[in-house]
Amino acid sequence: MEANERVKETEEKQEVWSWGAGTEGQLGTEKLQDEHIPQLLPLLPSISRLSCGGAHVIALTYGKKVLTWGRGASGQLGHGNMVNSLEPKSVQVLSNFNITHVSAGWNHSGFVSECGQVFTCGDGSFGQLGLGDYVSQSSPIKVSHFASRHVYQIACGMRHSLALLKGEHGDQVYGFGSGKRGQLGISKEKVKAVSLPQSVSGLQEVNVSSISANGDHSAALSSEGNLYTWGRGFGGAPDVCCPDRVISRFSFKQAALGWNHVLGLTDEGDVLMLGGSHHGVLNNPQKDVLVNQDLTEEQVKKIPGLNKIKVVGIASGSEHSVLITENGEVMTWGWGEHGQLGLGDTCDHTCPQLVNIAQNAEHQYITSSKVYCGSGFTFVVRACRPKQT
Amino acid sequence: MSYDDVEIEDMEWNEELKSYTYPCPCGDLFQITKEELKIGEEIARCPSCSLYITVIYNMEDFTDQKPKTNVEPPKQQPVAVA
Repeated sequence: MEANERVKETEEKQEVWSWGAGTEGQLGTEKLQDEHIPQLLPLLPSISRLSCGGAHVIALTYGKKVLTWGRGASGQLGHGNMVNSLEPKSVQVLSNFNITHVSAGWNHSGFVSECGQVFTCGDGSFGQLGLGDYVSQSSPIKVSHFASRHVYQIACGMRHSLALLKGEHGDQVYGFGSGKRGQLGISKEKVKAVSLPQSVSGLQEVNVSSISANGDHSAALSSEGNLYTWGRGFGGAPDVCCPDRVISRFSFKQAALGWNHVLGLTDEGDVLMLGGSHHGVLNNPQKDVLVNQDLTEEQVKKIPGLNKIKVVGIASGSEHSVLITENGEVMTWGWGEHGQLGLGDTCDHTCPQLVNIAQNAEHQYITSSKVYCGSGFTFVVRACRPKQT
Repeated sequence: MSYDDVEIEDMEWNEELKSYTYPCPCGDLFQITKEELKIGEEIARCPSCSLYITVIYNMEDFTDQKPKTNVEPPKQQPVAVA
């Protein structure tokens, strides 16, 4: 067993790269500064999934353990204190659980265990921890409201959270926290805040495969490839209090929410965007007109400049976007003031740009890449294999 | 260009910063002090980037002449430290 693992290690190596806003230690570079080009991080345990929040990061290892770093001022790192961490540290409270899903919100965090329990910590001012109060927590606390029911996923937004439950009665999505923009989806009217999970209406007949939350937005993806959004309206549209299916002739396999836009990755490998009227023009309002939505046709627009490039993965920060092509190349666009596009400068871009991530091409090739975005920063986790000589 | 319009009741009082704050997409906070609100300032800035928001509020709620203010700073939430 041990020998096998060692062999595997020499065959495939994981690399973690980060760039963008870094003054809270969220880049994991052990420095408190922004980085404009991709930085290779010191060796981390093998990571199966990352989730990036306002200024903190949660890493889930293949061993189903959790590491966190970055801003900790609200207790979102789950380390039992309220301080930032410059380097990845394990969440001790969860060490007796096998964690299978994690989500980082603006200043709070959610963790789901293999047996369907959900834990939350961090800012609780809006009830977003789902613990029945408005208190912040510096260590993960079990959300007892779900009792013995099986939670499958959690999604943490700016001031709210969603939970996806699977069971005999089908899939159910719950919302808790701030509902001022309709992001909870629990009633036809906006609710100020709820501190206990309540069922999202309008998804009862839907097989939900994944949920996401960012800013004041919520989204669910069905197993049939339909994308539903609710919460703050996109592109100046009114807020939506119940899940609303995005009208498109395409079938989606991934969705990525920003604070003013949502990206959808289609089965064919195309990327579509809804909202984002100032995506990539925050520093240059004159360009606004160029990307204005034409709402008379379909709600969603194709991303310009991608032509025939096939996309296999997407991620959204608050105001920037990242994609991975089928060739393992990383492209970024949107707001760039903190270097979150990784292009070596602080410019904005309305079309995807190729990020130059150093590679020893002669000796290795990339076998898989995944992209993740926090509010103003970006992470890439990729596996490389040495070339046979 | 103002990034967003935010009502004062959606901002959080931060005792450490002595400011009303709201999340900035860069990860930091838009901030505005009571003194600024008192003199009619409506722009809350982020110390880390070029973005700013427009704060929607009644100036009378922050002037000394009218003590029956209806905008109380939200109380600092207690925090459980394990």
